[in-house]
Amino acid sequence: MYRIGIDVGGTFTDLVAIDDFGKVTLGKTPSTPVDQSIGVMNGLVQVAETLGLSLADLLATTDRIVHGTTVATNTLLERNGPKIALLTTEGHRDVLEMREGLKPERYNLRLARPEALIPRHLCLGVRERIKADGKIDIPLDQASLDKAIRVLKREKIVSVAVCYLHAYRDGRHEQATREALAKALPDLHVCISSEVLPQIKEYERVSTTVVNAYVAPILARYLSRLEDALKTAGYGGPVLIILSHGGIAPIAEAIRMAAATVLSGPAGGVSGARHAAGLIGMGDLIPFDMGGTSTDISLIVDGQATLANDRRIANERIALPSLDIVTLGAGGGSIARVRAGGLLEVGPQSAGAMPGPACYGNGGAEATVTDASMVLGYLDPDNFLGGRAKLDKAAADAALDRLGRELGIDGVRAAEGVHRVVNTQMAEGVRLATVRRGVDPRRFALLAFGGAAGLHGTELARQLNLGRVVVPRIASVLSAWGMLATELRLEITRTHIGDTANLDIAAINKLYAEMEAEGESRLRGWFDGAIHSLRSADMRYGEQIFEIDVPLDQVDFAAPDLLAQIKGAFERRHEALYTYSLEDQDPVLVNARVATIGALPALPEEPLVEASAPIAPSGQRRIYLDGWLDAPIFDFDRLAAGQSVTGPALIVSETTNVLLRQGDVATTTPLGWLDIQVPI
Amino acid sequence: MSDVDPITASVIQHRLVAVAEEMGEAMLRTSYSQIMNSSRDFSTAICGPEGRLVSQAEHIPVHVGALPWAVKAVVEFFGDDVHQGDVFLLNDPYHGGSHLPDLTAFVPVFAGDRLIFWTVNRAHHSDIGGATHGAYNATATEIWQEGLRVPPIRLYEKGEIRADLMQLLTINVRLAKDFQGDLAAQIGSVRLGERRLEALMEEFTPDVVVDAVEVILNSAEQQARGVISSWQDGVYHGVAVLDDDGRGNDDIAIRAKVTIEGSDLEIDLSESDYEVTSFVNSSHANMQSGVAMALAFLLDPETPKNDGSFRPVKVVAREGSIVWAKPGAPVTLSTSHCAQEIIEAIVRALAPACPDRAMAGWGRRFRIAIKGDDPRNGQPFIWHMFHARPGAGASSGGDGWHGSGEWHSTGGLKFGSIEIVETRFPLYFRRHEYRANSGGSGRYTGGAGVDLDLEVETATPCKVNAAGDGARHGAAGMLGGEDGAPHRYLLRAPGKRPRVLRTKEEGIEVPVGAVFEIHSAGGGGWGPPGEREQAAKDYDRRNGYTTKSGGKSSKAKA
Repeated sequence: MYRIGIDVGGTFTDLVAIDDFGKVTLGKTPSTPVDQSIGVMNGLVQVAETLGLSLADLLATTDRIVHGTTVATNTLLERNGPKIALLTTEGHRDVLEMREGLKPERYNLRLARPEALIPRHLCLGVRERIKADGKIDIPLDQASLDKAIRVLKREKIVSVAVCYLHAYRDGRHEQATREALAKALPDLHVCISSEVLPQIKEYERVSTTVVNAYVAPILARYLSRLEDALKTAGYGGPVLIILSHGGIAPIAEAIRMAAATVLSGPAGGVSGARHAAGLIGMGDLIPFDMGGTSTDISLIVDGQATLANDRRIANERIALPSLDIVTLGAGGGSIARVRAGGLLEVGPQSAGAMPGPACYGNGGAEATVTDASMVLGYLDPDNFLGGRAKLDKAAADAALDRLGRELGIDGVRAAEGVHRVVNTQMAEGVRLATVRRGVDPRRFALLAFGGAAGLHGTELARQLNLGRVVVPRIASVLSAWGMLATELRLEITRTHIGDTANLDIAAINKLYAEMEAEGESRLRGWFDGAIHSLRSADMRYGEQIFEIDVPLDQVDFAAPDLLAQIKGAFERRHEALYTYSLEDQDPVLVNARVATIGALPALPEEPLVEASAPIAPSGQRRIYLDGWLDAPIFDFDRLAAGQSVTGPALIVSETTNVLLRQGDVATTTPLGWLDIQVPI
Repeated sequence: MSDVDPITASVIQHRLVAVAEEMGEAMLRTSYSQIMNSSRDFSTAICGPEGRLVSQAEHIPVHVGALPWAVKAVVEFFGDDVHQGDVFLLNDPYHGGSHLPDLTAFVPVFAGDRLIFWTVNRAHHSDIGGATHGAYNATATEIWQEGLRVPPIRLYEKGEIRADLMQLLTINVRLAKDFQGDLAAQIGSVRLGERRLEALMEEFTPDVVVDAVEVILNSAEQQARGVISSWQDGVYHGVAVLDDDGRGNDDIAIRAKVTIEGSDLEIDLSESDYEVTSFVNSSHANMQSGVAMALAFLLDPETPKNDGSFRPVKVVAREGSIVWAKPGAPVTLSTSHCAQEIIEAIVRALAPACPDRAMAGWGRRFRIAIKGDDPRNGQPFIWHMFHARPGAGASSGGDGWHGSGEWHSTGGLKFGSIEIVETRFPLYFRRHEYRANSGGSGRYTGGAGVDLDLEVETATPCKVNAAGDGARHGAAGMLGGEDGAPHRYLLRAPGKRPRVLRTKEEGIEVPVGAVFEIHSAGGGGWGPPGEREQAAKDYDRRNGYTTKSGGKSSKAKA
């Protein structure tokens, strides 16, 4: 049987099929943005052909498909979702547009005001009010609800978010509203905040529920189309969607929590990195995914990915737990320019896919990072993407010469300068991303993947003082591969505010037990294997505004000193993040969290690369590394296990180029990966 | 010109900015009080040995232009008596500080025995002693009533803490534990900056770094001059008017005379009104910061904000005026008011010279703090209002942002969740929505202020303090745009006539069952209202930002 991972990216759709013996088959086809399912089906045909099977035969012998989709993300970025509305507590209809009073860019006072996902006239106040203590101050008023329903009808609203104040502690008004809406407008898509994110803080809850209402109809249409196409082609197994928190869930659940799919794409990369950490026995990794327009950085600590609740996508706040990924606005397509003051700047403008870097020959004239790589000899103009594309070296030379003239230096020095500046920017980005999470980057290894990471990885490591860079053999499809190594996951949250000293032990136990039971019964609906739960809590000191996520796995809930144990768990976490804790203060518990997890069978082990005699270089190229020199070129896919290559050298495959600088030593692992020691 | 190549200078510039940012991150992670780790009221920077601003992290605009003056005060007092391992501290507005709650920590960074940099951290402490909690004392008539004054002192001598000095500080503040925790975070932050800069100099050699700094500052100067020289030469005048000083003086004027000659700018504030007896006076450093902010807002966001970009400006002012008070005058409100009026006067003056850049006025600050007992647990509470933010000014970029705050923080201050406030305090937010017709009309309309109905649910009377401005004068309209509606705060108590809150009052009695009815100010409009597109007007009407009865008459009533 096969299991197939499918990652739909902006340019390419990547597929990975793994058979029972661990053999990996790759597929790569152009993405089809208008209907992503076409690209997916094309990719499946390609994989079937590679395996010498018909599509029907491949699908008949496939028992699991895991899919990462950018449909929700693109809907948000391109603002092409349906017409939606918000029903909220009367007197509070501007929560969404207020953004808690924040505006980005301190020194840009001419920044245009963004348009909220819902215009104000479709943010409809409904007369009702529940107070902080749960008391109903104003019962849900039928007349004002009817008035709102008339607006929804008149405006032909497709999807609606319902979010009332304090609904995290009592969802009855939201439920009654949903019932009334179902009766009056049976086709309306309704999301209520007490289901999407039942936790305190109205801006986060409103915004998350609104995003959910906005992307759900589009995601539903796409996924049902894909499901039909797969069924028609002969597939009878489950289609699982990877969510922003890195776990997977069936289609119906992904649609219900559509806002939880906005990081579905990069989540695969982080899952791949987590799986990689296990395979190479290195628990602390910095996954470094450098693409065309941006670079994603995350952290694997002790083999685990970290989660955050403070995501913004396309300016919209989504407060669901999601993988903690930092995106830098620099990649291979970033444009280098000389500022008015005469200094070099790389990005944030990017040449994108069209026209792309000058060397793509699509009319781009400005120098990009990729053009600089071309000028320095790191890329082979005749053998890009396995020879499927040719690059225009003369165009790259001309672009860098122009840049050099502005700087008063020659084109090669300008190209070297572009690399130095972009490497500095990325190194500082990694440093800030790690410092922000309270860890020192030096004990980590860099896991370099994505199109451009291999050319920059070892220099970045040098600047960060870290001595190890790992490049997976499947670097270009790590995301699709990683999706197959994840587990089913459901996140459940309840707000339960109280000082740890005064919490009722029985009530806490009851709360967590109920949440676990709920998670288990929901997961049981689509899974019959073993289920386990992880407990955690969002906590803070009284005067702080931001909570931290405190794992409670090590806490014994049956023990009489439960509260002291919870306090201790908080203090350890606070110390790790902020270097101190305050033992004489009682922290406040704000939200209780349970992650319900269903583990899928482990992936079959990949066959090892055969140990054989080291291979010789396939050629050599003139490259610039502090001066021109001849560097040997090695074929990544043919390197023998245990073979060492010392820089300067280039290691190339169809989709990955790795640059070894002077002193770098790459050793091929039994899996055929590169394990590079960087002298620091 | 130095022989450092432009690539190396670019790399070092990125590193210097990243060091300032890392200092800020360290501060955020280790600071203790809510005002720092949540509201982020602190700033970090790197200065040259003589105080020139080399790089900064984007935090609170009103801090940054003032930091060089703080470094200069330390250098002036200690001269060459500065050593590795020393940590210096100050807050006194008459010794390089802005106002007393802002404490600034400095570490000198050496290469061998040569002083190359200062790392600097300024942070707003929640209390600094004095007559009232939190330093905003509307009744203060002299600085000694505002809090503890700290002239430049050496808190650590060659790595050793001077415990006697530390005790002198902590004994004079109300929340000694918060104070010490935040101060420790500040010192950790400047020391981290020191380590990073030492590593940078080791990598590139001190000479290359020093030369690169010259290239970086010259480059920023060139960028700033490029912008200024595109403005029309001439002499321009602008006035901004404070409501009052809270002690009987109304309409206090800040006057800016701005001369543009090529790429040079002279900003002359010496015709501003005399200093007053209350805390709206500005210190010298705060005045310099106001000027720097005005320029920073008018330049491109991409121009680095460092000594180079401020070089084209010459500042002229008169000691004894509202923008530069004589030693001893109270100044605590000045980082809001009159710093914002200094910006407003300069932008007003320059508007005809660079109309596309001149943004209309942002709303003024009007803070209240409620003090009482929580009937649910019998505990005393103090609640500072950050809700009901005023509207932002419109500009050539479009309409002002609704409810995004004041010129001194430009959308950087966050208000907390209403659900959290209601859970933690005996307060009930009946309404918190945009205030219709509050943004100044114009081709682009000012951002709306906010209406807030806030019921106090205590069993015993409370007290409220007010500190701010802008209940009489709205945010400035620009280039034909109209002013935004001013603030209007009412206190309604059962069986009593509504009482209008003044912006500078102390200890107002709040009876049981009272409701604050708050209407915060709108931002100023930009360009003549007659040029506003019909579609934009329809949009405002349809969405209730304006109403049929709106416009001037209701603004006057509101």
